[in-house]
Amino acid sequence: MRRFKVTVNGHSYEVEVEEEGERPTGARPAHSHATQRHEQVAPPVADSSGPVEQIVAPLPGTVLAVKVTAGQAVESGQVLLVLEAMKMENEIVAPRAGTVKELQARQGQAVNTGDPLLTIG
Amino acid sequence: MDNDRTKDLEHRRQRVLAGGGEARQAKQRQQGKWTARQRLAALYDEGTFQELGMFVEHRSAEFGMDQADAPGDGVVTGFGQVDGRLVYAFAQDFTVLGGSLGEMHARKVHVVQDLALKSGAPIVAMADSGGARIQEGIDSLNGYGEIFRRNTMASGVIPQISVIVGPSAGGAVYSPALTDFVLMAEGIGQMYITGPQVIKAVTGEDVSHEALGGAQTHARKSGVAHLTFVDETALMAGLKRLLGYLPSNNLAQPPAHPAAEPEAGAVQGLDQVVPDDPNKPYDVRQLILGLTDQDSFLELQPAYAQNMVIGFGRLAGRVVAWCANQPRILAGCLDIDASDKLARFVRFADAFNLPLLTLIDTPGYLPGTAQEYGGIIRHGAKVLYAYSEASVAKISVVLRKAYGGAYLAMCSKSLGADLVLALPTAEIAVMGPEGAANIIFRAQIEAAADQDATRKRLVAEYRDRFSSPYVAAARQYVDQVVTAGELRHALIAALWALGEKSEDRPAKKHGNIPL
Repeated sequence: MRRFKVTVNGHSYEVEVEEEGERPTGARPAHSHATQRHEQVAPPVADSSGPVEQIVAPLPGTVLAVKVTAGQAVESGQVLLVLEAMKMENEIVAPRAGTVKELQARQGQAVNTGDPLLTIG
Repeated sequence: MDNDRTKDLEHRRQRVLAGGGEARQAKQRQQGKWTARQRLAALYDEGTFQELGMFVEHRSAEFGMDQADAPGDGVVTGFGQVDGRLVYAFAQDFTVLGGSLGEMHARKVHVVQDLALKSGAPIVAMADSGGARIQEGIDSLNGYGEIFRRNTMASGVIPQISVIVGPSAGGAVYSPALTDFVLMAEGIGQMYITGPQVIKAVTGEDVSHEALGGAQTHARKSGVAHLTFVDETALMAGLKRLLGYLPSNNLAQPPAHPAAEPEAGAVQGLDQVVPDDPNKPYDVRQLILGLTDQDSFLELQPAYAQNMVIGFGRLAGRVVAWCANQPRILAGCLDIDASDKLARFVRFADAFNLPLLTLIDTPGYLPGTAQEYGGIIRHGAKVLYAYSEASVAKISVVLRKAYGGAYLAMCSKSLGADLVLALPTAEIAVMGPEGAANIIFRAQIEAAADQDATRKRLVAEYRDRFSSPYVAAARQYVDQVVTAGELRHALIAALWALGEKSEDRPAKKHGNIPL
């Protein structure tokens, strides 16, 4: 696990970055045995000790609505925020269950592809 | 017959059937893997597999190879019936010299490749191999090269499917890459050009085998895998299901099935799937499920470039190739990965007589420097090329947004669609109403006292006049306007009407698709 300080639009954020393979993630356990492999189809469980995952804007647009608050527990597939882009209200959903660690996006904010929106831990 | 000779044959058979022996097979099982023969037994109808080249032996004497015991030279080859249809296959046997590919191993593969092509039958390759047999040097390399050449010659003539149920590294990955479909088992199949050790030595990056080339990596990041499965049982069932959509060769029709109705739940509310509001996202797969025969939709590359949905399905028993923009991902924009995914699928469908059903709802190409620098121009062009080139029945349905270049690309009438249908919610125009009104009425908006109100009014005016299916229908760029509830019936009728479609192309060696 490595820590970085990142400045975006004048706001500075502390980001924890983990290399893949460093240890198993809550979302995709690195199983190697047949007996365990079936578990992968089961919905991932909330794991507050899992690595922090940065959710970024998939395309340039404007944050129309933020649907969660920092510290809130979220399910996999839950709508986190709505990004208006390409004349579409794009729903940004949680890739896995977890807790909203940091909310970086604000309503009305213009974001570019790859800009940080929030982190899930 | 001479009893001794019969016994001798039986003895020889048993030696080959035992593969690398009980210890190595037990190790294979411990890793959650099946043996080569188990895999073939799972694929073929019981008692139909005919093994070829059972007594092939390598002829290498270098580096102690004269002492190496290699029953079948590490690969099991032959033909048999899958749901009653002829299919050729070869399965590499990891328990024999690590499934490594030497001269004679490759020769056995060449034989089934040649037979499959001559007899017009699909071929399935099951990869579980440590790679080239170093001891056999360039004879081994030549073996790979001749497999690649045969893959290419057979491309577009017979369906070729690769099943990755073990390591497939280095040059070995290029045979799967040349075939039509790659199926992988999670935690079992791995593909990469250079392995973790080489990467570590050259770039210093630490990456595991699975993270580098496992099923999830190729399903999500690289797009190399078309389908992935939790284990080999699921994979073999998926493989047989996939074969059920494919004709045996380019001159045959896909297998016909009894007609079936779509899933009742998916049909109810079909009219509500596409929202009237052009800004609201939805899952286009819901619409596909409501249009296809129950349980017949098989999505390919479902986790890669999700803004494009591709897959096989049946309409009243007939196999079709579905291509659809997915508005809930990246607003349904076309980008580099979606273009590659779509274009390759369109070419497969065209090569194997599968009608193309295209569902259109895209605001355009994805803007951004990453796309432009990445070559969206040449990648996007593949879609135009593939659709224009295709001579199978081409039926397109405009669901909602169809703007500009992206509208043209998604199998428009201009690219040769035979029939174009549109829902009443369709907006076919050179660009979205906001953008268009801002350009056309710029002077008027700038001169207005209340610019915002004027802009809104003019955008609404533009939308009313031009963003509908009727302007396009007036020029017959659209043949029919139907409701979502009427769509399945209209599509079945269109498929029936185009059942004998034939369209020639100028004689040429081959085209020059922008790769």
